[in-house]
Order: sequence, then C-alpha cells, then structure tokens
Amino acid sequence: MKVKICLIGKGTVGKCFLELLNKKLPIFKHKFDIDIVIVGIFEIDGGLVNKSGLNIRKVIEMDKDFRKLNDWKFNINPLDLISKIDVDICIETTPTNPETGEPALSHIKAAIKNGIHIIASNKGPFYLKYKEIKELANKNACLIQYEATVASGVPILSIKKSLGASKIKAIRAILNGTSNYILSRMASEGIDFSIALKEAQELGYAEADPTLDIEGYDAAGKLVILANELLGWSKSIQDVKIRGISKITPQAIELAKSDGYIIKHLAIAENNSLIVEPRLIENYSALNISGTLNVIELKTEYMGSIVLMGRGAGGYEAASAILNDLFYICDFLKKDDNI
Amino acid sequence: MINLEVKIPDTPGTLIELIKPISNNGGNIFGILHHHDKKINNLIPVDLTFELPEELREKALESIKSELRKENIQIDRISLGTEKRHLTILLTGHVFDTDVVDTIKRLAKKKIIVTGLEARFTEVDDISTVKFSLELPESISEKNLINEMNKICEEKNLMMIRV
Ligand SMILES: NC(=O)c1ccc[n+]([C@@H]2O[C@H](COP(=O)([O-])OP(=O)(O)OC[C@H]3O[C@@H](n4cnc5c(N)ncnc54)[C@H](OP(=O)(O)O)[C@@H]3O)[C@@H](O)[C@H]2O)c1
Repeated sequence: MKVKICLIGKGTVGKCFLELLNKKLPIFKHKFDIDIVIVGIFEIDGGLVNKSGLNIRKVIEMDKDFRKLNDWKFNINPLDLISKIDVDICIETTPTNPETGEPALSHIKAAIKNGIHIIASNKGPFYLKYKEIKELANKNACLIQYEATVASGVPILSIKKSLGASKIKAIRAILNGTSNYILSRMASEGIDFSIALKEAQELGYAEADPTLDIEGYDAAGKLVILANELLGWSKSIQDVKIRGISKITPQAIELAKSDGYIIKHLAIAENNSLIVEPRLIENYSALNISGTLNVIELKTEYMGSIVLMGRGAGGYEAASAILNDLFYICDFLKKDDNI
Repeated sequence: MINLEVKIPDTPGTLIELIKPISNNGGNIFGILHHHDKKINNLIPVDLTFELPEELREKALESIKSELRKENIQIDRISLGTEKRHLTILLTGHVFDTDVVDTIKRLAKKKIIVTGLEARFTEVDDISTVKFSLELPESISEKNLINEMNKICEEKNLMMIRV
C-alpha cells in the first residue's frame, strides 16, 4: 500500500523531516506495510514534482542544490497543483505570518478541500482560525495533526488521546525557549535584560527581531492551541491577555529570590481565561526550568498535576513530531482501510 | 475555614443528611465533633469545620443553608474562620513617586494589610522594584486583591508580578 505525501516548505524543519523520514521508512513498511512516497516538495519559488515518487535520498544529498534535480520546476505552487496531483497527506512547514497565518492557512484549506490529511508545524493557522479549520476538516473527513506547533517534539497534544476519560482542568506552561533563556540568565548572572537578550541572539536562540518571543505573542499562540485542544475551548489569540518580559529588572529577580521565588514567563489557561505574563513561581516548582527548555503542567481532575518537559525548538525536534503525526495517520489509514 | 454549629436528632441517618449538602456543594470537610454529653430533647449539638472553593463560597454557603433547613436541621451558628494568608507581590515602575502611601492606604481600605516593603533602586529618578508582603483576611479572596492591584497598577503605570 502506498501513501503519497507532499511537503510544503523545505527549510530547517522540512529538511530535517526528509532526513528522519528516510531513516524511518522501514518502520512504516514493517509496522503498516505502507510505502511512503513523496510526490511533491514545494518551495517559495517552485517545486519538485514526480507523480510516481521523488528520490528522497537524492533530494537530501543535493541539499541546497535540490533545484538542479530534473524534477524541479520554477514558478509552480501547491495551491495550483494540490487538486491535480494525487496526494494523501500534506505536510506544511512554511513560516507563519502571525497576523494572517499565511501562506499556510491557504495551503491547509486547499488541501482539506481536496480531501487531503494535514500535518503542520506551523502554528499561525491554528491560533487564528482553529474553529474554521476544524470544521472544514470534519466536513471533508480529514485528519489534522499539528504536534510540532507546541513545544516541538514534546507530545503534549497527543497526550489527550491517552487521557481519554480524564478531564484536564487547567494548564500552566513555559512555551517560549527564548524568553526562558533570557530570564534564566538574568537570574543566574544578575545581568540586565538587554545583555541577556544580546547573548541569546549571539547564540542563535533569539531572532534579530525578538518581539514575538519576548513580548509573549509566540507563547500566546501556543497557549491558544493547548487550550483549544486539551481543554476543549474555542479561543483565538485575541482572547489572550499578553504581557512581555522586557520590563523585568535584575532587581525584581533579586527581590523574588529573597522570598524563595523565581520569575518565569508563564502561559496560563484556567477559569476560562488565557494569560501570558511574568509570574512568581516557587523555587522548587516543577515549572522552574532553565535555558531554552519548555515545560507544561496539566492540572487534572483526579490525578493532580502531570508535567511534561523537553526541548521546545529545533529542526529535528519538530521533525520528530511530524514523523509521529505521520505514524498516527498511517495507523488510522491502515486500520480503517481509508486509502 | 467555615465553622458550622447545628443540632441534629439523635437518630440513625441524620448525620449523613447533614454532610450531604456540604459535599454536594463542593465542601471539603476537615472535622466533625459530636457533643453527646450536651444532648437536650434528643438533639445533639454538632460542630463541623469545612472549606469551600473560594470562587463559589458565598453561593455554596447559601445553598448549604437552605438544604439544611429543608432537612429540618437547626443551624445555631455559622462563622467564617479568621485565618490570615500571606502573599508576596512585586511592583516595578515609579512605585514611590506615584504615592506609595496612597497605594498602601487603598489596600488597607480593602482590608489588605501591607506587612512589609522591600525596595531596590538603580538611580534616584529611575524606576524601582518593590516587594510588598501582604496579609489577607480570609474574607478577602485573591481575586479581590488582584482586581484592586490591577486598578492601582493601571492608574499608576506600574507592573505587577504575582504568584
Ligand atoms: N525551527 C524550529 O525549531 C521549529 C519548531 C517547531 C515549529 N516550527 C515552525 O515550523 C515552520 C518552519 O520552520 P523552519 O524553521 O523550518 O523555517 P525556515 O527554515 O524559514 O523554512 C521555511 C521554508 O519554507 C519556505 N517557504 C516560504 N514561503 C513559502 C511558500 N509560500 N511556499 C512554499 N515554501 C515556502 C521557505 O523558503 P525561503 O527560505 O526561500 O523563503 C523556507 O525554505 C515555522 O512555521 C515554524 O514556526 C519551527
């Protein structure tokens, strides 16, 4: 049995995904008797298309020179082609425009309308148009998996399936590695915010324009996805009260320490409200993690707290999440003979 | 903590009728004391201590009372405990220039007592960060405190960092 995939966006995540997929192809064959075939890889200026399957190994080997492959065509785009090439699953890994969710939103909607299952690492469409996407997917009987959008490879969205009958009541989390790195360095070294930010930029943990990270917008987007998926809410990013960390001073951190607290940029979903802001947490709290890590605490009905922690960014981490999503969809396709 | 003093008939099954409304309304019972020695006219005085979820407290207490009355359980007294809670919050901004005494007085008006202040400055004209140690009587919820603090912070352009 063949499962045909198209990948949109061959950047850091897209490339890592191709590498991991190439290594894991035998697992799909062994476990599901499925041959994964990549029929299209789209970039901003064109794409590689081959209806009987691209040579993944060659694409990986060519690295940045993949446009030299025979299957490459300039000026083609997935929106025009998605209805014409036979695809089972579309993997979306383009960058997000935080205000519009584009181009991913259009890619996702077009794919769903053509009955194609979705895997995305792109959070924009989900924190802006969650309801619309879900409804469209239900109407077209498509699965949508987007584990990589929150805390990368940490299986925080798929935990819902394991907690089937248990209710999650509230969420507290650290969802942005950049702001956590900055606060951690300020706490351990007593340095100013601006120095910690510069250090993060030099180490590649912060973008040249770090606004989305330090002002809390990135964490807010992820929080919306968590609340909708795990608490069953139907919110969008406009519903989040957001405050950044740029005004945190070393003096504030010092005063917090004197009472056994540490300042963290928390994302909180409780009592029907969504908040991202600097908060005091106890030193011994499970949320007190350092560096670029992410952590999520789920407050459950009968089991107390469940805490998941791990690396919240990185190409291979996100690619692992995509691969797990692919595994889930293949399992579904195989079980229900839905191909 | 809530203390409830009632009198119940010394007949089997009455105690359960007393406990039911409390647990039905989300109460967490800490203790039950029977005063068998003080039985009068087949009525035994019973003291109960329990806690209710903060956000539902008043509503839950009202429905407990009416459910007990329906069961003909005589309520002698209900008292809210006087346990105090301590909280730390940080304020960053021009905390002193924006009249810190006024801030303290406004909290006091809401029965929130500032028991300690600790400040860190950089330059005299620059912003400061101040740690407020607060004492809250049980009748004041954390939500009340946060609402009041939010109002003050908005007015005085201060940033609050709380637990
Ligand atoms: N990197 C991570 O650690 C990580 C983790 C979790 C989730 N994510 C999310 O995953 C997505 C991809 O991240 P990334 O780090 O791989 O970004 P990236 O390195 O910038 O890669 C994105 C790729 O998409 C291409 N692209 C842009 N617009 C396109 C379009 N209209 N059609 C087709 N391709 C297009 C880009 O091409 P050009 O370069 O030519 O513009 C680039 O090759 C983002 O939404 C990100 O938020 C990333």
